[in-house]
Amino acid sequence: MAVKFGLSLSQILNRALPKVHNCKLLPGLHIRHIHKNACQFRNKESNQLIVRPSAFNVPEGDRNKETFVEAVKIYTTRPGPRRSQVEFIYSALKEMEEFGVHRDLQAYKEIIDILPKGKYIPTNMFQAEFMHYPKQQQCILDVLEQMEDNGVCPDAETDQMVLNIFGRHGFPTKKLRRMTYWMPKFKNLSPWALPEKIPNSNLEIAKLAVQRMGSVDPATVIEIFQTSELKDAIDDTWIVCGQSSNQKDLLAKLKEKQTVFVEGAFTIWLRRTSINYFILRSEPVPLSEEEQKLRSEFDYDDVSQLRSWIFGEENLTRKDIIVQPSVHEQEDGTILAIAVTGTCSKDSLLSWIRFLERTNPNIANLTILFATNSPLGEVSLAIESNIPSEPLSKITGGSDICK
Amino acid sequence: MYRFITNKLLVPSTCARGLDFPAVFVPSTSFHEIRKNGYIDKTQKKVSTRQAIRDGLKELKQEIKNWTAEIKEATMLDPIMTVPLPGEVDAQWFFNQSTNFDDWIVTSDSDHNEGYSTCSLTLSPVGKGLFSGNLSTQLIKDGKVKRAGYCNMKSIRPQKSFKRDSFYDWSIYTHLVMRVRGDGRSYMINLGSAGYFDVNWNDQFHFALFTRGGPHWQVSKIPFSKFYMTSKGRIQDNQQAVPLNRITSFGITAGDKNNGPFRLEIDYIGLERDPTHTEISAYEQYKVPSFYAGY
Repeated sequence: MAVKFGLSLSQILNRALPKVHNCKLLPGLHIRHIHKNACQFRNKESNQLIVRPSAFNVPEGDRNKETFVEAVKIYTTRPGPRRSQVEFIYSALKEMEEFGVHRDLQAYKEIIDILPKGKYIPTNMFQAEFMHYPKQQQCILDVLEQMEDNGVCPDAETDQMVLNIFGRHGFPTKKLRRMTYWMPKFKNLSPWALPEKIPNSNLEIAKLAVQRMGSVDPATVIEIFQTSELKDAIDDTWIVCGQSSNQKDLLAKLKEKQTVFVEGAFTIWLRRTSINYFILRSEPVPLSEEEQKLRSEFDYDDVSQLRSWIFGEENLTRKDIIVQPSVHEQEDGTILAIAVTGTCSKDSLLSWIRFLERTNPNIANLTILFATNSPLGEVSLAIESNIPSEPLSKITGGSDICK
Repeated sequence: MYRFITNKLLVPSTCARGLDFPAVFVPSTSFHEIRKNGYIDKTQKKVSTRQAIRDGLKELKQEIKNWTAEIKEATMLDPIMTVPLPGEVDAQWFFNQSTNFDDWIVTSDSDHNEGYSTCSLTLSPVGKGLFSGNLSTQLIKDGKVKRAGYCNMKSIRPQKSFKRDSFYDWSIYTHLVMRVRGDGRSYMINLGSAGYFDVNWNDQFHFALFTRGGPHWQVSKIPFSKFYMTSKGRIQDNQQAVPLNRITSFGITAGDKNNGPFRLEIDYIGLERDPTHTEISAYEQYKVPSFYAGY
């Protein structure tokens, strides 16, 4: 009767007499120790977990798409077997923003293309299920994730590339196809379309901003003024002004000595760029006591109050029915005009009012107040003109505007 | 917190969802014991059982009142009157001086030391709701957090009497209508539809809320059919229509990766019924290939 003690004969032998067991008694069963020849790697990069490959050590001024592509090329065309591809891709991902290529599909393609084609494709269903070459798959998943975060939609070539690397059961392939399905659905969804690339010029951004804000009224006309046209202007800058014919009418109807406010600067975001704007606003016209009483007392659900014109009951002089106010007449004030100025200075605002006076003569009869706060939002104060202004840094908040 | 204690006391957790599943066997790998998976308020004080019973009994009177009102409403409500006419907006939430801001949960990544964004939901100077704050995508250097930069406001879970979890039933409506004034950023609208099983707790339906920016108010009318389904923020392959009779929360997220202050003023969040809108889901309902979405 065989009794099993938990250890096989060869294991007992191995423990008791390792040398004898390995070398003399059972020479065929010796354990093979693998030694790596250290000299082989000695001249390579230091053995760290995260390596910053020398290829990306580019002086700060030269960091652009060309040097990025070149760095990847240096890595891929290095003689000898290619090592630590995943580490290289991860470090490339980190460097992308510094090189300004984090929204560039071509750059992503370059780094995906590093991986070999065919090697990582699973050949049976077990490999497919258990994430064949997991580190490589996770790496490309992270690349795709970064693309998604930066709004870069992969194209057919990227699809083919990933398909050739991981096959149709690879997780990166699936993720890429989900991205190509969903991302274009939301790309152009905004009802306020913007150009694909927001222009660098502040004037162009200002035009876009005023156009977007003015889209509330189709009659909005955008005018660009140069303050140099005015005699007394201190600043020499531009003013983008948006005003519709309805707003002109509202402004003309204002009574003499009524106060209108120049408020701002408020912020508007155009995708990743922000710009400051100012508004000309008058206080909302309060309802007369009689009107307020009528409105509060009138019961709209009372069917007995229904009147029909057939029986001559319709009273056209009813005071609870009013002309629908325009979009500019809000409960928090009437918006009379919107402007973006090149310097955001008080002087440029004064120039703006002077320009408005040309088309809206009623402004001369009104009291203009340059307000330092507003019920409509947080205000960053306009700059005094005697301080030398820096139009670029003052007017834009977007970090990537200069790229 | 407080609600949790009384919930535990008065209603067994299995029937708190409003469904009667006698016994549920959940695979242990997907079992989540706590709804706020991992994000527990550690400052919360533990209350003794005796104290919990006392606190619970204090609420009993009010809960019975609530229950009576519910029964009255259910028996006396004329169902025909509840169908809104086309063009009428039924406001679900108004934001004004009388708004109870405790009905809203406002969170940002800095709450759990996962980022530097801050936000608040307050009354704006013109007397509307103001969801504002500062978004920051700066990472906390703890080696775990990969991305940061979100601010979120979310309605609390509707409840019936005796603290039973309930749902919003919006099944007669087809559109979400909001009057807002934004700053040009895009926001995200989240409709929570937490299901009975823990795998469905994080099911949400999303759509973008684009804002014009500028001093004018805008009215955004979004069909519910356009909302897409996600789980834990990941868009799902198998899309389905929004279960409008089982809405558990409504929320707005600011997280467009642009560092800086954001500002969204909200007048009302309403619902509208448009009989001409027959679309149920705007997304393809075809079957995903086998072994593609997990099975």
